[in-house]
Amino acid sequence: MVTTILIVDDEPNVLRSLERMCMNAMGEPALPSELKVFTFTDPGEALVYLRARNADLVISDFRMPAMDGATFLTHVKALRPDTARVILSACTDMPGIVRAINDAGIFRFVAKPWSDTDLRATIISVLDHRAMQLENRRLADELRAQKNVISRQQLELARLESETPGITHVRWTEDGGVLLEE
Amino acid sequence: MVKASRSKRHVAEVVGTLAPTVPSATFGSEPGNASHLLWVQALYELGQAVAGGGVPQKVHHDMLQHIVTGFGAQSGSIALHVDAEGSALELVAGTDLPPGVLGSRLPPAVGVFGHVLATGTALLINGDVAETNLPIRKTGRLDRSKQSTMCWPLRVNNRTIGAVAINRLPEQPRYTVADLDRGQVVTNLLALVVANHRMHVEREGRIHELSTLNEMMRRMNQQLEEAQDQLMQSEKLASIGQIAAGVAHEINNPIGYVLSNLGTLGSYLPRLFELCDAYIAAESAGEAAGEKLALARGIRERMKFDYVRTDTGALMAESMEGILRIKHIVQDLKNFSRGAVDEAWERIDLHDALDRMLNIARSEIKYKVKIETDYGNLPRVECQPSRLHQVFLNLLVNAAQAIAVSGTIRISTGHSPPDVWVCFEDTGCGIPADQLNRIFDPFFTTKEVGEGTGLGLSVSYAIVHRHGGRIDVESEVGKGSRFTVRLSVKRQMDYQSRLLPEAVDDGASKNVESASAD
Repeated sequence: MVTTILIVDDEPNVLRSLERMCMNAMGEPALPSELKVFTFTDPGEALVYLRARNADLVISDFRMPAMDGATFLTHVKALRPDTARVILSACTDMPGIVRAINDAGIFRFVAKPWSDTDLRATIISVLDHRAMQLENRRLADELRAQKNVISRQQLELARLESETPGITHVRWTEDGGVLLEE
Repeated sequence: MVKASRSKRHVAEVVGTLAPTVPSATFGSEPGNASHLLWVQALYELGQAVAGGGVPQKVHHDMLQHIVTGFGAQSGSIALHVDAEGSALELVAGTDLPPGVLGSRLPPAVGVFGHVLATGTALLINGDVAETNLPIRKTGRLDRSKQSTMCWPLRVNNRTIGAVAINRLPEQPRYTVADLDRGQVVTNLLALVVANHRMHVEREGRIHELSTLNEMMRRMNQQLEEAQDQLMQSEKLASIGQIAAGVAHEINNPIGYVLSNLGTLGSYLPRLFELCDAYIAAESAGEAAGEKLALARGIRERMKFDYVRTDTGALMAESMEGILRIKHIVQDLKNFSRGAVDEAWERIDLHDALDRMLNIARSEIKYKVKIETDYGNLPRVECQPSRLHQVFLNLLVNAAQAIAVSGTIRISTGHSPPDVWVCFEDTGCGIPADQLNRIFDPFFTTKEVGEGTGLGLSVSYAIVHRHGGRIDVESEVGKGSRFTVRLSVKRQMDYQSRLLPEAVDDGASKNVESASAD
């Protein structure tokens, strides 16, 4: 299974080096065997991406021109609650960090300048945690289905939706057609 | 001007055993005779000794001695009122005073002096004072019995300032009324001399006072200037503090990715060497070469050789960029915070200064502000470089902070000989009209407590003023503000430098080209 990571930072060189680090770590024990890394200098574009597709992990800088990291990750949380969120920042701005933790529900805060080993360990830990949460939920859903709390159909729909977002939503046109594009 | 006043004279004669009258020695019968004139001139010259810095005591003594000699007297004394109020009397000169008496105070209205001063008339006494019907108390100090005494008041402008008395022993010819009258002229001269001397002393005193005050003022002025210098310096460092968080961010990012890239490169190298080793082994493998080559190929696959090859180039270039960025920021900061308190004047390129400050302030600026520049053709400007840097940074940061969410700062420059101007225009919140004339006041700030010192603009103003320039501001609430700094190309001597020669540069201003950044 492919693990998708989104990295958002207004500085291109930072994105390059993080991407590099991820690509080189790929295949190492404990890290997912297949990693896809997408980088954005503009958080707005990242949100556009997330509207169409899911991601497993989003790593974001705090200080950015268009919107700050806490705001961005709050949007991410609203859009994709299951996506893990991490802030990577040199920022010493306490209120901002507190907001990130409370409103955006970030999983981890990593200080800049980061150490590659620490960052890798953080990513692993965060992905593991998330996988566990999702697994728990899946199991719980199954149980509920067995106990007829939710129907198997709903369970299946949930699974399909989590894998390919948007697939369970059908948009009808006036003449009974189906809209495929958003 | 002394009015020659012929005051009345009082004569008290005791009939008795006194020698017959004989005119005074030097004052022959005709006042116009040569020796008389010479005597008067000599007296006058004695009085002038004061102007040459003569000690008053000596002058009074010399004059008294001259008078005593001139009148053929045996002894004499001068008493002067101590101050203008004219109550206390001081014995300022005397020819035969016992030690300790000179300079002592005489009780008022007592004795010969007392009477003369009280009545304002000259007095001639022949014979025993006690036997006259004058209200004179016997002082008991000097033996006044049977002597001839003349005493004149010293008057200047209808004011009595003291009195002079001379005495002859009984054996000598008595003084006459004529002597008394003649003496009046002399004593008028004496009075004038004394008065002039006093004025002179007073004037000297005042001059001394004034010059002490002046020196004090000059020292205070210097201290103030030094304090102002210190203030400018600390304000400068404080302004760095304001943008420090942003600067740290600016430096942290490059540090972060350079560090990471080095780590990555560190992981590439072993793989590359492993690959090289495999090929080297294959080289010398002989028949097993094919097998070794296959191994090598496998390594090549696993390590993603093609990716590593292209990535290494990018990695190096990006890392280099990052390190250079750090280097420039640190250099600009260092340049900004240097500058001795009493910095040397140099001719610098203002656009270079603006660019450096833009660099330092970037993190404060870049998130919400677009920078536009419109640089004219400027000559190098003579100034104290880090001071001007400070002004530019202050105006830049202020402009950025006036912009809440997003806006533009436009920096334009121009040359209108003999001046240059630099203009900072922002699309920020603007300044209300009633605050416009207060913004340069020290400690005036619209920021929250602890957010700023309120000194930035006042220090900038002082710096520009010291350069002989000016800062003008126009603003409209809701639209933005425009700050224009005008400076002269050549250094101007400002007001303070003109007053205090020490402040002037001791040589021609330096034509040092400011060192380039790299």
